[in-house]
Amino acid sequence: MITRIELHHVLPDVFSDATDRQPVCSSQVWLRDVTFHKGRRYMIEAESGTGKSSLCSFIYGNRRDYSGAILFDGQDTRSFSPSRWSAIRKTSIALLPQEMRLFPQLTVLENIDIKNRLTHHASPQEIMNMLERVELAHKADTPAGLLSIGQQQRVAIVRALCQPMDFILLDEPVSHLDSRNNQIVASLIADEASRQGAAIIATSVGNKINIPDPEIIRL
Amino acid sequence: MMSIRKNVVWRLLRHNISPWQIAGYAIANLIGLTIVLTALQFYRDFTGAGSDSNDDALEMRDFLILSKKVSLLNTFGAGSTSFSQAELDRLAGQPWARRIGEFRSADFNVYASLNLGGRGMSTYLFFESIPDEFFDIKPDGWDFDPEAPVIPIVLSKDYLTLYNFGFAPTRGMPQLSEDIIKKVPLKIRLSGNGNSGTFDARIVGFSSRLNTIAVPEAVMDWADGIFAEGTEDSEDPSRIILEVTKPGDPSITEYLDSQGYEVAGDKAEASKASFILNLITGIVMAIGVIITLLAFFILTLSLYLLLQKNRATLHDLMLLGYTPDEVARYYYILVGAVNLAVLVAASVLASAASWFWEGRLDSLDFPSAPVWPTLLAGLALMAVVTSLNITAIRRTVRRAF
Repeated sequence: MITRIELHHVLPDVFSDATDRQPVCSSQVWLRDVTFHKGRRYMIEAESGTGKSSLCSFIYGNRRDYSGAILFDGQDTRSFSPSRWSAIRKTSIALLPQEMRLFPQLTVLENIDIKNRLTHHASPQEIMNMLERVELAHKADTPAGLLSIGQQQRVAIVRALCQPMDFILLDEPVSHLDSRNNQIVASLIADEASRQGAAIIATSVGNKINIPDPEIIRL
Repeated sequence: MMSIRKNVVWRLLRHNISPWQIAGYAIANLIGLTIVLTALQFYRDFTGAGSDSNDDALEMRDFLILSKKVSLLNTFGAGSTSFSQAELDRLAGQPWARRIGEFRSADFNVYASLNLGGRGMSTYLFFESIPDEFFDIKPDGWDFDPEAPVIPIVLSKDYLTLYNFGFAPTRGMPQLSEDIIKKVPLKIRLSGNGNSGTFDARIVGFSSRLNTIAVPEAVMDWADGIFAEGTEDSEDPSRIILEVTKPGDPSITEYLDSQGYEVAGDKAEASKASFILNLITGIVMAIGVIITLLAFFILTLSLYLLLQKNRATLHDLMLLGYTPDEVARYYYILVGAVNLAVLVAASVLASAASWFWEGRLDSLDFPSAPVWPTLLAGLALMAVVTSLNITAIRRTVRRAF
């Protein structure tokens, strides 16, 4: 279990020679000390090009092109092996990437099952219930490549919820959703997060996910 | 409702696999490995790996019996025809020399008599002995017990041939097989140093390597103790047997000529034949190895290509929490299955190929070598190839993490 994620003076390498300029100089994250606690809700607001997807990748361990340190309960994540990261991704930290990363040739259910078979977290019935909540149960056997971007976003959210978690990273989770669907997925995510006692860390450039009372951090 | 196929990961990962590339690799590797295994089995069959006592096979080792040229000086007692310790050391230091055995001759008189179908024959003889490991045969009854002395004798095959085809027809004597001779009871009278005694003896075998009348070293020790005059002026041997590792190597002949040594029963031609055979087998095997290596590179390149094309899929699976080994495992299985199939097919083909010449070998009285060490060599080769493939896959997948 991970109870806190600390960022110490983290800076993407691309900003290394622009520390006195925007977006770094006014950021509340880059080159600062930031701590995310399990069970809380965070909204990271950013403009385009300020590095919010990079931040998610740094925390999730699939990119290392930054300076500074990211600590999970005091342990520097740079020392983690691939198998340690795999375990964390299965049991502690969930990620919704901005580009969703569904497999277009697989059906909606297969895309969800490919995660769930690793974690054995949700029963088939629970998966169907979630699909019903996001109004996609009728698309269960449709290849993901045939869905609209908004539909894909909802499938990817369901998939991200199919695991035990202490933190869930949502990279622009509602960028392609209308306000009604925003409300639907927000309540689905908030329900699952509070059921598991997990923190929500969401990013946004404009369209914000409608989670209750987030702490706002400016990137 | 839940129409999820089991191998959904494999369905993603097998995308971009080109059956033609895999087939191309499998065929190329099959050809290469079949050539390697066939050449290896051929080599082993013809070098007598099937038997450790077959002197006729074209061995990778050979035994040369050396003596010095006898000149007029030697006849009149000047000069020595024995090998000094310094000469033996120099010879043993040659790169092609494996070991040297010394002939030890009897220092007492030997007189043999036998009874052949009512006709008695008797003659003066000589005995020599060399260490057992230089014998080409390991006959039964080669042991000697001084308490109940029966002297075992190994005779040169040439002597029997001389008797059967030279002596017996002209003197109206019966021709004799090896088995008959082994049953003939011999009486040996040894004398010297004021002692004499008559002992039973038996011919226990025939050697095509040693042109002498050989007894075990134990007999020599025992008889020397009783009958030797003790006047031997030199312990140096006058004949030696030399085991060489590269028969037919021209440098051997050069060295022996330069030292003025004579090789008994010149085997130069047979040695040359075996040298050339080794060379050709070596070349064929090298070609097989090159084809196998090229096939290996084809596979490695196709694997890199495949993993490169599937890099995004691999990356996404690992983002979901799959470990590098969990995703790479499917490619391990693929490579393992293809390589195993190639190994099985090549083993069958090589065994079938060897069947063509083994029938003819049998008719020449060559024992054919067992096939399993060859198959084991194939297994080892494919194990190396497979583990290299797996290492390459593992590295590339980890890079996509």
